[in-house]
Amino acid sequence: MSIPKEAYRVLESIVGSEFISEDPVDCEAHTPGPNGFETDLGIATIMKRPGCVIFPSTTEEVQKIVRTCNRYKIPFIPVSTQWWSGRGAPKVNDAILLDLKRMDCCEIDERHMYAVVGSGIIYSQLQEEAMKRGLYTTIPGGGSQVGVVANHILYGSSPLNYRTCIANRRILGVEWVLPSGEILRLGSLAFNKDDFLWGEGIGPDLRGLIRGFSPGWMGSMGIVTKMSVKLFPFQPDKPIPTGISPETALELPLSRMRWYNFIMPDKGAVVKAMYEIGKAEIAAGVTKVPLFWRAIAKANNKEEFWEIWDKESEESVAAMNVLRVLLIGFTSERQLEYEEGVLLDIMEELGGKQARTKPTDESWIKNADSAGMWMMCGGYTSLEFDFEAIDHAIEKGVDCSALKKDFTPPLMRAYGDQGWFQVGDFGHVALFEFLTYHDPDDEEIHKVDEWAIALAKLNINKRYYTAQLASHKPLFLTGPAYGPDYHKWMLRIKEEFDPNNLSNPPVPADYDMFVDEAEWMKEIKDW
Amino acid sequence: MPEEYVKLDVTDIDNFRYDMRRCVRCKGCKWVDHIYMPGSKFSTRCPSEKRYLFDSFSAWGRLRLALGLMDGQVNYSQRLVEAIYKCQLCGACDAGCKRNLDLEISSSLEALRIKCVNDGYGPMPEQKALAEKIEKEHNVFGAPSKNRAKWIKENKPVDETDIIYFVGCYASYKMPEISRATASILNASGRGFKLMGPDEYCCGYPLYSTGQMDKAKEVAEHNIESIENSGARTVVTSCAECYKTLKVDYPKMLGKSTSDMGYQVIHLVEFVEEQLGEGNIQFKNKLDLRLTYHDSCNLARMSEPWVYWEGKRGHFGLTEPTMPRRRGTYGLYGQPRDILKSIPGADLVEMVRIRENAWCCGAGGGVKEAFPDFAKWSADERLLEAKDVGAQALVTTCPRCKENFTNTIKASGDNMSVYDISELIGEAIK
Amino acid sequence: MEQIVGAKKVFDSADMLGKYATDAGICPPGAPTIIVKPKNAEQVSKVVSFANNNSLPVIPISSGIHFHGTTIPYQGGIVLDLSHMNKILEVDAPNRRVRIEPGVTWEKVLEELEKEELRIITPLLPHASRSVVTDYLEREVPVIPVYEFGEPLLTYEVVWPNGELFRTGSASVPYYPDSPAKGTNPAGPGIDFYRLLQGAQGTMGVVTWANLKLEYLPKTDKILFMTFLSLHDAIEPIYRIPKLRIGQECLLLNHLDLALILANEWPDEFIRLKSVLPSWTLVLVLSGALRRPEEKIAYEEEALQDLKKQFFADMEILHALPGVTGGGRELIKRLRKPWPKEITYWKHRLRGACQDLFFIARPEEAPSYYHQVVDMLPRYGFPLEDMGFYLQPIEQSRACHLEFNFYYNPNEALERERMRILYREIGEELLEMGALFTRPYGDLADLVYEKTASYTTALKKVKNLFDPNNIMNPGRLCF
Repeated sequence: MSIPKEAYRVLESIVGSEFISEDPVDCEAHTPGPNGFETDLGIATIMKRPGCVIFPSTTEEVQKIVRTCNRYKIPFIPVSTQWWSGRGAPKVNDAILLDLKRMDCCEIDERHMYAVVGSGIIYSQLQEEAMKRGLYTTIPGGGSQVGVVANHILYGSSPLNYRTCIANRRILGVEWVLPSGEILRLGSLAFNKDDFLWGEGIGPDLRGLIRGFSPGWMGSMGIVTKMSVKLFPFQPDKPIPTGISPETALELPLSRMRWYNFIMPDKGAVVKAMYEIGKAEIAAGVTKVPLFWRAIAKANNKEEFWEIWDKESEESVAAMNVLRVLLIGFTSERQLEYEEGVLLDIMEELGGKQARTKPTDESWIKNADSAGMWMMCGGYTSLEFDFEAIDHAIEKGVDCSALKKDFTPPLMRAYGDQGWFQVGDFGHVALFEFLTYHDPDDEEIHKVDEWAIALAKLNINKRYYTAQLASHKPLFLTGPAYGPDYHKWMLRIKEEFDPNNLSNPPVPADYDMFVDEAEWMKEIKDW
Repeated sequence: MPEEYVKLDVTDIDNFRYDMRRCVRCKGCKWVDHIYMPGSKFSTRCPSEKRYLFDSFSAWGRLRLALGLMDGQVNYSQRLVEAIYKCQLCGACDAGCKRNLDLEISSSLEALRIKCVNDGYGPMPEQKALAEKIEKEHNVFGAPSKNRAKWIKENKPVDETDIIYFVGCYASYKMPEISRATASILNASGRGFKLMGPDEYCCGYPLYSTGQMDKAKEVAEHNIESIENSGARTVVTSCAECYKTLKVDYPKMLGKSTSDMGYQVIHLVEFVEEQLGEGNIQFKNKLDLRLTYHDSCNLARMSEPWVYWEGKRGHFGLTEPTMPRRRGTYGLYGQPRDILKSIPGADLVEMVRIRENAWCCGAGGGVKEAFPDFAKWSADERLLEAKDVGAQALVTTCPRCKENFTNTIKASGDNMSVYDISELIGEAIK
Repeated sequence: MEQIVGAKKVFDSADMLGKYATDAGICPPGAPTIIVKPKNAEQVSKVVSFANNNSLPVIPISSGIHFHGTTIPYQGGIVLDLSHMNKILEVDAPNRRVRIEPGVTWEKVLEELEKEELRIITPLLPHASRSVVTDYLEREVPVIPVYEFGEPLLTYEVVWPNGELFRTGSASVPYYPDSPAKGTNPAGPGIDFYRLLQGAQGTMGVVTWANLKLEYLPKTDKILFMTFLSLHDAIEPIYRIPKLRIGQECLLLNHLDLALILANEWPDEFIRLKSVLPSWTLVLVLSGALRRPEEKIAYEEEALQDLKKQFFADMEILHALPGVTGGGRELIKRLRKPWPKEITYWKHRLRGACQDLFFIARPEEAPSYYHQVVDMLPRYGFPLEDMGFYLQPIEQSRACHLEFNFYYNPNEALERERMRILYREIGEELLEMGALFTRPYGDLADLVYEKTASYTTALKKVKNLFDPNNIMNPGRLCF
């Protein structure tokens, strides 16, 4: 089976023969796996090879393609970098995969601090362009290689959220091809299709439709082709790239930007420090560092990592509490001096000892080493994270760590580490992420899927918030619990805007599909 | 995960199944290192992915296809062979992946080509024709092998030296300006040089890089024997392709490490740096030129010594003994730059993508022979960068880079000059 | 209704209905059928459910005063007066969060928070009896543009038009607030429901409580002023100062608005102020945070002086407004509270009423909009001296809220009518110029929704999903 010939001819006439293919070689190459984010887990069992790959270059082309899909009832899936590879493949046969990499415009309005980006632009590109103009954006945990547009409508979390907040609030004008093929423009674009200044709706704000927490629609509500995103004033001394791969880093202008590492006497002190720093309204990033990241930073290769890591124990991990703080003198050098004074006051009160800190940034300002997460074990997922209060992060971390013991192995031994958490919005929230690692070829790999469901149930039973909603986890498990019944609204919206169900079906219920089809999930499916 | 026994041996593609299965599609193989990301322009370093867009023309796509081939999910086709061969094997993907994941991308791609040839679907016809020329006359041009040393003019070889100058096909037959400049430098240092003459066969790069392993091994074994017979301890070359082939691929083909070979292979720039330091060479003449330096892939990220390894790989992919990882960190990045900066009047400006992030000239991996348009396109992309920094001249360390850039400039009617570094050094020491 | 809320909370006397049939704006009166004052979300849910089953309009209101016609029922129905749902439910100082019911006013909440040295950042001098929740649902703009993460509103509980209760964001967890989740994340679950309720004028549901962000009151402050003869001259400082993260409150007012705000003695001091105040005044408050407050002010002031030297050297930065009693320093306290209820609301002081015309724009566009409006005023016989102007930078001046205040006598029928025409026609002209009316009140709504047709279509679809019987404040926006 492949897509109908007539449809192919029409699509070819839209983009040109150079930019479309249904050759099995091309389609196979565009199929993610066998490794990647979730691509080594159970959800991958429902991934399919696309029937056709197409590269549009404009919103109008995307619209024509989507209309053609509606005409011929062909499902489609948009991808920009396909970084979330486990969800970057269709879940039905003979779908069209729209690779948006050609849509790579990047224009910055320096005065009004926003960038208009196409779906093909990634963060490190944007960050560099922004910094050339005295501005900056937030490099997310997903990595500087992720698409700016895709990440703004999915996640967008990083220590820099401390100042710049989660991505929901950073979306301005949006150009959006709906699953039916209509173009919907949000924000100021609704008034004038060339004005990307502002994001608020006219009355009710339909940015509420485009994403959520999390992960929004995952390509099942049409295709965002262009978006303006907020940039923020930076400081004037641009950090300088140094080093040769793999030891590259940004040399920080120390009179304006500095990282600080503090060894805190205990976890309670870490939490207090986070609250105090937020209250004091200083800093640009505040994060607890999971201990295994320090081991990664020290190790020359994965074997060395394990030599270092396996020297740890539950006691040593619990005893070592590192808080990392970024100060930026946005206003002036004196601002940094002031903030350092305040920071050290707080540390003195709480017993935090300043540790050696490199005068560089390896991750967060322009790079975020998310790919390196796979280095230790070959497999990695983050099956639990959220944004909520700092103490919510602490409580959840304890529970996740305890639960993880039942799934270790195949999960990597972390000696009781209670997760990564960092502060957002000047202390109003914290990002919590519980990272786990595994060997994708482990005989017990299916237990990682069970771990995913166990976490979902933990959240519901313990009344935690979570980003693992919608298609992250079974929609019909989380749906009734949160809202309640948020899923019903999502499905109604989906039905209204995608009546032919062509936009990346069966998302947002794809995880449900996997659970229903997988033998090893049958026992644990009790909803 | 059960333990498996693995070798860094490209003749068996199964040795790289692990690497292919561990790719996470971070596309570090395509993007310039994010720390060095220059913005929305000049942001990638994989010519084939940029030119052809489809994932089949990217490293991550090729790894997926290789697995598919091995597991019977993908069959050979014209498209597949094209995807395999429309790649300069420039190593950008390897260095990019090793930034984060330490997967053996270059070796996987080499192994894929060897498999393709062994399965009867490769190489490309033009590459096969080249192999026939090498077989017949021991050079890529098919020119009479007895004329290999005809380039010699004033600067002649000597008997009393432990240096062999491995000239390479291009400098021997097509670009005597390079061989003559190199000879003058070697003599000016007082060290002198020997030649292998007609006993110098093509290094074998066009054979090895296109998967024609058996033929590559033949010329390698011959050249090694010639070197050993000469008694020389040092082989100097002024061609990056020869450099990498002799230093890295010869031991690789023989299941050895670079350090196991009975001689060391150095590039002219290493030699000149040493001689400048010892005061045996001085730059006397002024060069009034705003120039930029192009890192030839085979001198830069591809040139670290080869370390043979075999061992076990187990849970979490841990190797025993620890697998050595060549990450491109120790390529010859500094030497050419230091040399150029020392030449009076030379104004060196850097392009945006340099060192391990350099954009390939486009000629390597058999691409120039089989896909000349693609080779030209790659060179055009690189020349845009050179123009962007206002360079009057582009300097390189490889005759193949020089040729591709020169031809591309000519075709577009541009006026930028292209030099091999040996020429500028030669002028400066006169 | 009586069964649901109790007889004492249901009103249908002519007198009572009359009170809810109008507001303090220019919109014509409507005709409510009944007034209901629930005391909790369960009652709200039952009222709305009943209304939905019987296709009866529901108009939720929570403030003691309304200006834009959003609460006038034009199709009859139930006015759901939430003013008795006025509890401050939680003050969570460590997480800097407060949870309040919709009937909580600015006066009540700020007074309570001040006891713990906390505050919610406020819009410009809101009326004391305005509902805090409503004001921020309606996206009133804070006077402090320095916080990148903006938007004080976090999560809420809402009664959907079908009567179902729902909680947005991280308050959506089971059994909230009896949960570790505090309700500090507005996003999700699944999609950003919170956005659909913003700017909705009560058409998408009834919010029964909301979490808002708190900040600490500064330990010390220093107020500074820059004055300008021409609006054009103010633009560069407006761009540059907030971008350097200098200051907290930062806003520009014309002399009329500033005089209305500053005058203690009425009318003499007002008349005097009007004559001495410069045409335009930029108000900037530097504030010390909880720790080392004087140092913070010092570095900000130093940076401000450096900025001035570099970009507007010929402009003065004043520590006091000449001719103003106290130099205008009382503004610091004033800007952090609602307008005192014992004094006539500042927008009503001049003529008794005020019609605001506001929109989002680029600060650099302010002079063109201003001149356009000034050019049009004679058509309506409206005196320039009765027009206030307020420019509020938003988020470090990435954009601004531009507001024209047209003061008029509400008791004069002709003036009211003139105001309606002026509002519509000037609004239409500014819309054509590019003004972003993201909160289209009254007659502007039709114009705006016609212009933004594809947005309107999508919005109607969403509305239809949540409120297929169109019971929630029908006739509002484009519904």
